[in-house]
Amino acid sequence: MADKVQLLTSIEKKTLIGKRVPKPDSRDKAIGRTRYINDMKLPGMLHGKILHAGVPHARIKRIDVSKARDLPGVHAVLTADDIPEFIFGMARDNRPLKGGKVRCVRDEIAAVAAESEAICDAALALIEVEFEALPAVFDPAEAAKDDAPRIHEGKDDNFNLKYHFGSGDVKAAEATSDVVIDETFNVHYVTHVCMGTSCAIADFDPDGKLTIYSQTQYPYNFKMDLAPALGMHAGDIRVIQPPIGGAFGSKLDVYPYEPVCVLLARATQRPVKLMFSREEEFINAPTRQPVRIHLRAGAKKDGTLTFRDIKCLLNNGAYTSWGPTVPYVMMRTFSSLFRVPDVNIDCQSVYTNNPYAGSFRGYGNVQATYALAIHTDIMAEALGMSFVDLALKNAQVSGEVTPQGAVLNECALAECLTLAADKTDFRAKEKEYAALRDAPGRFKRGIGMAASIHNAGGAKIHKSDGCGTILKLDDYARCTVITGASEIGQGIDAVLSQIISEELGIPMRDITIVNNDSAIAPWDVGVHASRTTFIAGNGAQRAARKARVQILAAASRQSNVPPEALDLREGWVVQEDGGVPVIKIDRILRQMHFSDEPELVMVSDYYEPPSEPEGKDHVGDMSAAYSHAVHVAEVEVDTETGEVKVLKITSAQDVGRIINELGLEAQIEGGIIMGLGYAISEELIIENGQVRNPNFRDYKLITSPEVPELDLHFIESHSSTGPMGAKGIAELPTIVIAPAVANAVHNAIGIRFHNPPMTPEKVARAIWEKNSSRAAAE
Amino acid sequence: MSATVEINFTLNGRKRQLTIDAGLSALNLLRDKLDMTGTKYACGEGECGACTILVDGLSVNSCLMYAADFDGRDIVTIEGLRSDKGFDPMQDAFVEHGAIQCGFCMPGMIMQARHLADTNKDLTYDGLKRGLEGNVCRCTGYKKVFDAVADVIGIAK
Amino acid sequence: MQVKPSGTLDEYLAPVTIEEAARALADGRASVLAGGTDLMLQAANGRTPYRGRLVNIRRIAELRGAAITGGRVRIGALTTVTDILNHAELAKAVPVLRQTADKFASNQIRNMATIGGNICNASPAGDMIIPLLALEAEVELASWDGAKIRTREVALEKFFTGPGRTVMERGELLTAVSFAVPEAGHRVRFAKSGPRPALEISTVSAAFAATCKDGVTTNVRIVLGAVAPTPIRARSAEALMEGAECSGDLAARAAKAAAGEISPIDDVRASAWYRTHLTEVFVRRLIEDVCHG
Ligand SMILES: Cc1cc2nc3c(=O)[nH]c(=O)nc-3n(C[C@H](O)[C@H](O)[C@H](O)COP(=O)(O)OP(=O)(O)OC[C@H]3O[C@@H](n4cnc5c(N)ncnc54)[C@H](O)[C@@H]3O)c2cc1C
Ligand code: FES
Ligand code: FES
Repeated sequence: MADKVQLLTSIEKKTLIGKRVPKPDSRDKAIGRTRYINDMKLPGMLHGKILHAGVPHARIKRIDVSKARDLPGVHAVLTADDIPEFIFGMARDNRPLKGGKVRCVRDEIAAVAAESEAICDAALALIEVEFEALPAVFDPAEAAKDDAPRIHEGKDDNFNLKYHFGSGDVKAAEATSDVVIDETFNVHYVTHVCMGTSCAIADFDPDGKLTIYSQTQYPYNFKMDLAPALGMHAGDIRVIQPPIGGAFGSKLDVYPYEPVCVLLARATQRPVKLMFSREEEFINAPTRQPVRIHLRAGAKKDGTLTFRDIKCLLNNGAYTSWGPTVPYVMMRTFSSLFRVPDVNIDCQSVYTNNPYAGSFRGYGNVQATYALAIHTDIMAEALGMSFVDLALKNAQVSGEVTPQGAVLNECALAECLTLAADKTDFRAKEKEYAALRDAPGRFKRGIGMAASIHNAGGAKIHKSDGCGTILKLDDYARCTVITGASEIGQGIDAVLSQIISEELGIPMRDITIVNNDSAIAPWDVGVHASRTTFIAGNGAQRAARKARVQILAAASRQSNVPPEALDLREGWVVQEDGGVPVIKIDRILRQMHFSDEPELVMVSDYYEPPSEPEGKDHVGDMSAAYSHAVHVAEVEVDTETGEVKVLKITSAQDVGRIINELGLEAQIEGGIIMGLGYAISEELIIENGQVRNPNFRDYKLITSPEVPELDLHFIESHSSTGPMGAKGIAELPTIVIAPAVANAVHNAIGIRFHNPPMTPEKVARAIWEKNSSRAAAE
Repeated sequence: MSATVEINFTLNGRKRQLTIDAGLSALNLLRDKLDMTGTKYACGEGECGACTILVDGLSVNSCLMYAADFDGRDIVTIEGLRSDKGFDPMQDAFVEHGAIQCGFCMPGMIMQARHLADTNKDLTYDGLKRGLEGNVCRCTGYKKVFDAVADVIGIAK
Repeated sequence: MQVKPSGTLDEYLAPVTIEEAARALADGRASVLAGGTDLMLQAANGRTPYRGRLVNIRRIAELRGAAITGGRVRIGALTTVTDILNHAELAKAVPVLRQTADKFASNQIRNMATIGGNICNASPAGDMIIPLLALEAEVELASWDGAKIRTREVALEKFFTGPGRTVMERGELLTAVSFAVPEAGHRVRFAKSGPRPALEISTVSAAFAATCKDGVTTNVRIVLGAVAPTPIRARSAEALMEGAECSGDLAARAAKAAAGEISPIDDVRASAWYRTHLTEVFVRRLIEDVCHG
């Protein structure tokens, strides 16, 4: 070995950046070795289950748990009477267990801890509850009325959150418009459907400190949010994050099952595991926020956009999680997707007796873009333009600042539009298909485009949007990176390892990422807002650079080559010029460690992105980078059955710079397919507050045969702030696809769908109605 | 009292003898009684494929199979899917093609892919898409899964 | 853990012959287990509580397999949907069975699900039932009369009495389904609602059978699934077509007539309107396919 090394005269720099790198944890997952939280057992562990109200609005007249308590194998049965009135949630409107009255079908009214899930089920069946039904309200417009039933007592009305943003003079701008389009959209309930159902395991130590095994994607603020639900100090909570089966935003808040699980553990002084069945998951896990969007906007004859005036009404549901806060992002899209100086936006959320929404990949932008990109297509049609030309006419250029203060550095919107149009022959096909719309024939083809913008450098919705990193190298040049950034399947393990490998010249397999224990890893705001590659990536790069400086300084002292002339490559310290090997990295690390002035390479970094929180006026450059994506959908509509077959999706997305091409493609492909479900098949059907389709049979995810041809194009705009130039990418694909499909369907059959999903029945019905009214007119 | 059954079967190449409740599902036998958690629960209704195992060489949803019916059969789960050379080529291909994200659906997906490779001589790319229709994945867009399977079976797109 | 058996399960038997099975069922306190793809869930959610004894018939070799003899097709109750997909001879003689099997559930379910289970489950949306009705199939039932096996044959059309209900008596076992090989030129086709190619519980399914010779349609059978409490024959639409010249708007008129014969419900999967609409679309398309295709 040593001899061989002597022969090395030059070591070239090899880079993993931009390469196709498998996720480091994927091998274990492929062989069934990964222990997900759903798979875990602790010694002495009990199982927990919750009794949900099942009725949307009612007074609890009587609840009797005595029979359940007497069942052999039952260790504890809790109701609201057994615990103090712990209040939690974003609007402080939620409790772990509800007493007095229930406000939606999910409401947790009792919980059992027992030796097995079967015993839990048997115990739940023994709980006697008598409800007195209260008048319920499910439509936010109804709930907004003065005489509507109150969801939360002590409040004057059912209004929850309100948002307003205004810039310029919308009235005056309208007067200068040649075309004004006024449309209302209703976007529906969908849910995350993580393949691993919700699960928590709570375990107290004898001092009353809690360890919670959790699926959370924001471990640090999770402690802060969980603590009040338990009457605990957040400092006494340790969060361990075993591998999980997906999150997509659903684990960005505390939901009642989590404190309930902990309360059961506290009551029994045993570890308790609480896991949802699939049916429970469909009914009780958060949804995407449904919104009614009224969008009025104008343009001049030449296509110059003049103004947008927007009103949104959000069905808050019974309690407040992230759902009703999505206007923060919706407003951003309304004010920044294309250049439009005069904007007025009002959003309101109103409590109802429905289940409630959380954050979900795209966080409001899915809803906003659905409306806005269809609206833009309608506008283009009215102006006799193609979508792409109207969009290009109003596309911002690098450096432009949007009305809400977003600085669009490295803006590649026009490039995305042009590329997507060129790759699909968009303008010609759009014309051709529109001309064939009324020709005979059962199948109609259509093509449609949509675009959007999203934060791509974090989102400063908290005081800090930072991420801590601790990096150490041992005597063998094995590197451990302890980061606040969680892994939820998105692949941060690969990206961070690549960046570290690049900076330190060590192979990926020598890098271990530790990011699953709040007692070990430093703070991070959480995996959301497409921020992790950007923020944690920057953090990891900065930490690695500190370690690099330390190593090069030692190598320089030893070799008398100035540190600037040294580099780290392939496990070696080399001379930058010519790659002449100087010393192996592990060797220099040992020398540093066991010298007269011993030192270890262990560095830390806290990265805070250069962004600012919005002011009360909703102005502020809240992300360190922004990015655009454009999708073109090509569809075939069966005009008889109403089936929409998506044939091909072409995507052009500004990714800043490719770090892991495999992971990038995986995120975009997955995002597109998830968004496709939103467009054509997925809907959580909630009628009178009840979930009607809590199963895979009737909640239709896209399955493999329905996957269209995917043609992905990446535009590298090289973000000046991103790690190696990268931007965050994971939400845009889900955001843009649905309106592209809707515009394509319109191109095919001349019908707009303002209320997704475009299910066969909905499409068939619309075609039938159109034909009927046409026949009647003739 | 629930009826019990004695079953003798081969699990991942080893003979097993157990006494179980007659109504127990194969999935619960594997996960709860044998602590073999590679096989996943994600719906318990045959709709998602996360629980796919091979029974006498055929893929089935273990959540719908009675464990009692294991008797006399040859069972392979994700933990036992190996080739002479080490891991099953399907497992390697899924890793190399980047087909795995959260990975929760993947044990089932890989077992079904193995079944497809074993039972269909002239599989086409479209045929393999159809062959995976009983396996839901929420993370990937399935595309990399198709590519991995196509690679192992040796079919071009 | 997720599966909570309901009803009592106090005995488990796995007979290997029809006689053993019939004896095991004789006292009427037994549940039959075939592929289990319906039973496992229905027992768990209490829809079909266990009757005490679980009789697993999957070990009865003589119940599995399909054969064509003397101009009749006979398919054993335990024949799986995958078996039907892979049965070359069957696919040649009666292509509609493979066509239907291909639209059935998923690969994993097809590997377990049996044709007997599909029939006995008696769902109005049971897919295999639809072409079998168009083929005017009969089912064979076996039971133990205390001394020997008693068998009877029932026309499939007379078999169903409601959703999940049949004329089968408690001690009876369905052993096979059989039908005459369609005469030359008698074509049978199946259609099922999408948009997925298979993994769907039918919102509407339909089968059409007819001989179209010299421009005249005879031997017409129209079967509709998921649009009434049981699968149904659309008799008036059939009558309208029988002996008629298959041209002009016959297909459209027959389709309309068929849509008039159904009693669809509104549910989470589809409205009655859509079920009616799809029925008309499917019947028309199937007729066009068989008569002009
Ligand atoms: C995910 C999923 C998808 C599905 N998709 C479809 C589909 O596309 N189309 C469709 O038609 N069905 C579908 N089904 C339903 C089911 O798979 C079929 O009805 C299947 O054919 C049932 O057969 P089995 O052998 O599994 O029956 P089992 O579950 O074993 O039995 C069903 C019922 O029939 C009784 N029984 C079974 N065999 C006999 C016999 N020989 N004699 C007397 N009684 C008997 C049982 O006691 C039980 O009550 C689906 C089911 C699932 C879970
Ligand atoms: S868990 Fe068995 S198919 Fe979903
Ligand atoms: S990889 Fe996460 S569900 Fe498939």
